[in-house]
Amino acid sequence: MTCDECKGLINCLMDSELDEVQATAVRSHLSRCAGCANFSEDLAAIRDACNTEPSSELIPPNSRALWCRIHNVIENEVRTKPSENQVPRRFLRLSFGQLMSAFVCIALVSSLFTIVGIKNYSQPASTDFTSRAAATQTTFEKVLCKIGLMETPQEARGRRLQEQKAAIEYWNERVQSRRWQWDRATREAFDRNLQIIDESVNDYSLILQKDPDDELTGEMLDSVLDDKMNLLRDFSDL
Amino acid sequence: MISRSKIVVPLRMAAQTTTLLSVVFLLLIFARPVPAQKKFSRTYAAGQNIRLQLMNRSGTVTVEGWNRSEISIMATLESPTATIVPESVGGTIVINVVRDNQGRYDVGSVNFSIRVPFSTKVDIETRIGNLIVNNINSELVRAHISSEGDITLTNIFSTAVAAENVSGNIFFDGTLEPGGYYRFSSMKGDINLRIPFGASFRMVATAPSTRSISLGAFTNSNTNYLADGRRVVGRFGDGSANLTVTNQRGSISFFRR
Repeated sequence: MTCDECKGLINCLMDSELDEVQATAVRSHLSRCAGCANFSEDLAAIRDACNTEPSSELIPPNSRALWCRIHNVIENEVRTKPSENQVPRRFLRLSFGQLMSAFVCIALVSSLFTIVGIKNYSQPASTDFTSRAAATQTTFEKVLCKIGLMETPQEARGRRLQEQKAAIEYWNERVQSRRWQWDRATREAFDRNLQIIDESVNDYSLILQKDPDDELTGEMLDSVLDDKMNLLRDFSDL
Repeated sequence: MISRSKIVVPLRMAAQTTTLLSVVFLLLIFARPVPAQKKFSRTYAAGQNIRLQLMNRSGTVTVEGWNRSEISIMATLESPTATIVPESVGGTIVINVVRDNQGRYDVGSVNFSIRVPFSTKVDIETRIGNLIVNNINSELVRAHISSEGDITLTNIFSTAVAAENVSGNIFFDGTLEPGGYYRFSSMKGDINLRIPFGASFRMVATAPSTRSISLGAFTNSNTNYLADGRRVVGRFGDGSANLTVTNQRGSISFFRR
């Protein structure tokens, strides 16, 4: 008996379907041939495993239903796959002019906000801007002032003056409540110097009434008001 | 009989005595009482990086650099009730007469004479009185008078100098170091600056009321008179230092050192 003949009969031997003569011949070959003996052992192990596993795990509960679900999934994927030839993108429907207009608009708006942001960041204190005249404004700054995104120099100066006056009033009240404690020399020195500052404040205010765009006078008024505030603050400690 | 000369002599002596007593009496009545002054003196060891911070109420403050590693503070207090409590905090000598005498009405003037190492940063201010600083070679010299008094800064070799008062003169005699900042400001008085001819600086000088800005030897083609001569801007050398001078109601003058 050859090995091929033996392997073809091993399954029948395990199922007890061979007659005694064939069964004896197969067993005899298996006892002599190690390869066929190994094959026989492997086959027996597979058969044992198949016999011990539950049948529900080997056989789908409803193979027809399973194949229906697989079919549906494949069909859905085929339906949702975009067809580049049949469905054009909405973006491509815009004309070149529209695209350019949109691009320019976006660039302008972003530039505007960037410039305004940088200006506000770089000029947090209004001390510089308050003293500036309208004549020194750039065209772009004038446009920003017109549309309300930026203060005009006059507005900035007015706001700054209000802040300074409020601070001066506060310190002046403190000075008035304490000056009775000062000696005569201190009182006289304080009054003399306050008068000097007030004279300058009056002079600059008059000049600005006549010429609101006088840049230097605006700057000097700002400076002397600061000086006045500092004088009051320093003497309020005494 | 008593002779006439024997009567006249005692009378003359009595008259002289009466006159003398009257003079003494008048002197006692009209003479102003001399306040009892108090002296203060203290010395501190100074390291390399030392700073003097002084705030006075009234009086003259003189700070002078010397070649010793110590700070000597001497003060004359007009009022015996005034007190000075200097503090040494992390390399800074702090003297605050305003704080130390808060609530006292009769503090009077306090005159300081302070000697510091050349490299000391000097930051002094007073409400009323003169400030004098000599021989300092440090990163900072600041002199601030809240009201009136003269500021005199001589032999100053600092990278940052600030002097400001309301009324009184300001005099600066020193160098303008490269990259330094120099600021002089007064409301009423004269500002005189004596600086080396070869100094490199950018200048903004403003005298809006008097328009009295005298550049002297520093006049060159890089100076511009702006706003009807109320402001002068200029650049000298490479312009590495910044000089700002403002005198609201007085003059500004430059002199060659």
